[in-house]
Amino acid sequence: MSNAPKGLSLGWAQTRALAANTFRESVRSRVFYILMAFAAAMLVFSAVMSLLTIGSRAKIIIDLGLTVTSFITVMTAIFVGIGLIYTEIEKKTIYNVLSKPLGRAHFILGRYIGMMAVLAVNLLAMLVLLGLLLALFKGFTFKIFIAGGFIYLELAILTAIALFFSSVTSPVVSAICTMAFYIVGHTSSALLESLAPRITDPVGKAAAVWLFHLLPDLNILNVTNIISYDIPIAHGFTARAIIYTIAYVALLLTAACMAFSRRDLV
Amino acid sequence: MNALAIEVTGLEKTFKGHLSIGRIHALRGVDLKVPRGVIYGFLGPNGAGKTTTLKVLAGLLKPDKGGARLLGESVSERKAREKMGFLPETPYFYDYLTGAELLRFFGKLHGMQPKALSEKVPSLLKTVGLEGKGDLPLRKYSKGMLQRVGLAQALINEPELVILDEPMSGLDPIGRREIRDLILSLRAEGKTVFFSSHILADAEMICDEVAILSQGRVVSQGSLEKLLSGEVKFWDISLSNWAAAEKPPVGEIVARHESQLLVRVEKEDEVQALIDAARASGAGVLSVTPHKASLEDLFLSHVPGGAR
Repeated sequence: MSNAPKGLSLGWAQTRALAANTFRESVRSRVFYILMAFAAAMLVFSAVMSLLTIGSRAKIIIDLGLTVTSFITVMTAIFVGIGLIYTEIEKKTIYNVLSKPLGRAHFILGRYIGMMAVLAVNLLAMLVLLGLLLALFKGFTFKIFIAGGFIYLELAILTAIALFFSSVTSPVVSAICTMAFYIVGHTSSALLESLAPRITDPVGKAAAVWLFHLLPDLNILNVTNIISYDIPIAHGFTARAIIYTIAYVALLLTAACMAFSRRDLV
Repeated sequence: MNALAIEVTGLEKTFKGHLSIGRIHALRGVDLKVPRGVIYGFLGPNGAGKTTTLKVLAGLLKPDKGGARLLGESVSERKAREKMGFLPETPYFYDYLTGAELLRFFGKLHGMQPKALSEKVPSLLKTVGLEGKGDLPLRKYSKGMLQRVGLAQALINEPELVILDEPMSGLDPIGRREIRDLILSLRAEGKTVFFSSHILADAEMICDEVAILSQGRVVSQGSLEKLLSGEVKFWDISLSNWAAAEKPPVGEIVARHESQLLVRVEKEDEVQALIDAARASGAGVLSVTPHKASLEDLFLSHVPGGAR
C-alpha cells in the first residue's frame, strides 16, 4: 500500500477502475451481442433496400446506414444510460463501491467513461460493417467515419442526460425525460426559427432564446445529409460542435455529481 | 494516534415516511465509543437502527445531526474509509465478475497496484476459505461463499477497522463458526472489529464489548464482563440419595431422577440452608451452580417487549 497513488492520481485510478468495470458489465451481457447482431442485420437490410431503389446505391446505403447506426447507438445510450446509477442502487452493489475511499464524482465519471467506451465499440463496429457494405457496392468513403464522429458527440450528450436523470430518479422517468430531450434537441432550433419572429413580447422572446440555449441543440451534430451529398464540412463547424458537446456534457455531469453527492443510499 | 476506533456523538437520522408523509426517526441521538483492538458487538432487534448507524459510518448516509469519526477521521471525509473495511448486510456483487476479479476491482478502488493485488488476492481467497474458487463467476457462488467473498473485499486494503453488518446472518452453523474464527483472528492481528448482529449467542461468544440499540438509542454499552457481572440470578443445586418422599426445605425442584434431585434456589442463604439440610439427612451434594444474567437476559431487559 505504500506505493498506492494519492490525490488526483488515486482519483483517476479509481475512475479508470470503475470505467473498466462498466465496460466489462456491458460486454459480458447477452443484450450487448443481441443488439450488435440486430444492428448488423439492419445495416445489411439497408444495403439490400438500396438494390430496390432508383438512384445512387452508395448514397442510399450511406443515408440508411448512418440513420440505422445513429438510431441504434442512441437507443443504447438512452436505455443503458438511464440504468447506470439506478441499477447500482437497486441491486445494492453501490454499497460496497461507495464504502471505499472514493468520491461520488469519481463514481459518476467512471460510469460515464465506461459507457462512452461501450458506445465507441458499438459505433465503430457498425461503421466498419457499413464501410464493408459500401466497399461491396464500390462506394466506400472515409466520410462515414466523420459522420460517426458527430454521432459520437450526440451520444456523449445523450448519455450525460440519461446519467443525470439516472442519478436523481427512476428509470421510467429517466427514459421519458431523456427521450423528451432527444426529441426537443432535434427540433428546438427549427422551433426557435419559426416561433421567435412571432413572439412580440421582448421578455417572452428572451425566455424562448434562453430556453433554446438551455436545451441541447442536437441538430448541430447531425451531418448525415452533408456526408451523403458530399458537401465539405468546415473546420469551424466541427470545432463548434466539439466545444458545444464538451461544455454541455461538463455541465450535465457537474449537475449529476452535485445531485448524487447529496443523495442518501438507503 | 486516536485511542478510539469509532466515536459516534449524538447521531440522529430521519427518513421520509410512507408516501412521504411525516418523518421516521431511525436514530435518536446515538453515542458510541469503540476502543481499538476489540471485537465490538452492536446489538439490537430488527428496526432498532443498526444498519442505519453502520451506513452512516460507511459514508452511505448523511446524518441529520451529530457526527462520527473512524480512527480519528470524520466520516464525511474520504480519508476515514482508507483504513476501514465494510461488509453490508446481505452483500450484493457484480455477478458477471469472478471472485478474483471482484477483489482486484475493489483493490483498485483503494489505489492498490496490480503487483500488490496479484499477491494479495490469492492469499485473501485462502484466508476466507475460497481457495481455488477465485475463477468462478459470482453468479455461481452460494450464499455462504458470497458472504466470504464479501468479507474478503472488506479486508483487501488490510484495514485497521472492519465494520460488518450482520456477518453471520443466513449462514449455517459451520459457516457461522468460520466467520467467528475469522473475526477472532482479525482481533489477534490487532484489528478492531465492529459488527451488528441479532444472534446473541455469537456475540456473547466473541465480543469484548457490546452496545445494545433500541428504537434508535443506545440503551446499554460497555465490556461484556462488566455488563454481565451483576448478581447471581439463581443457583442450581444437585443432590444425591435424597429420600424420595421428602420435600427440600427451600427452593423449587427442577428435576428428579430416582434419588437424585436438582433444586433451584434464588437466595444465597437458601444455598447454605439446603446444603445443611442435605448433610443432616445423609444426602450428598453433587454440585452447586450459580447462574448469572446472560447477554440474552441483558438484551431482553432493554428492548421493548423483551421483559415479557
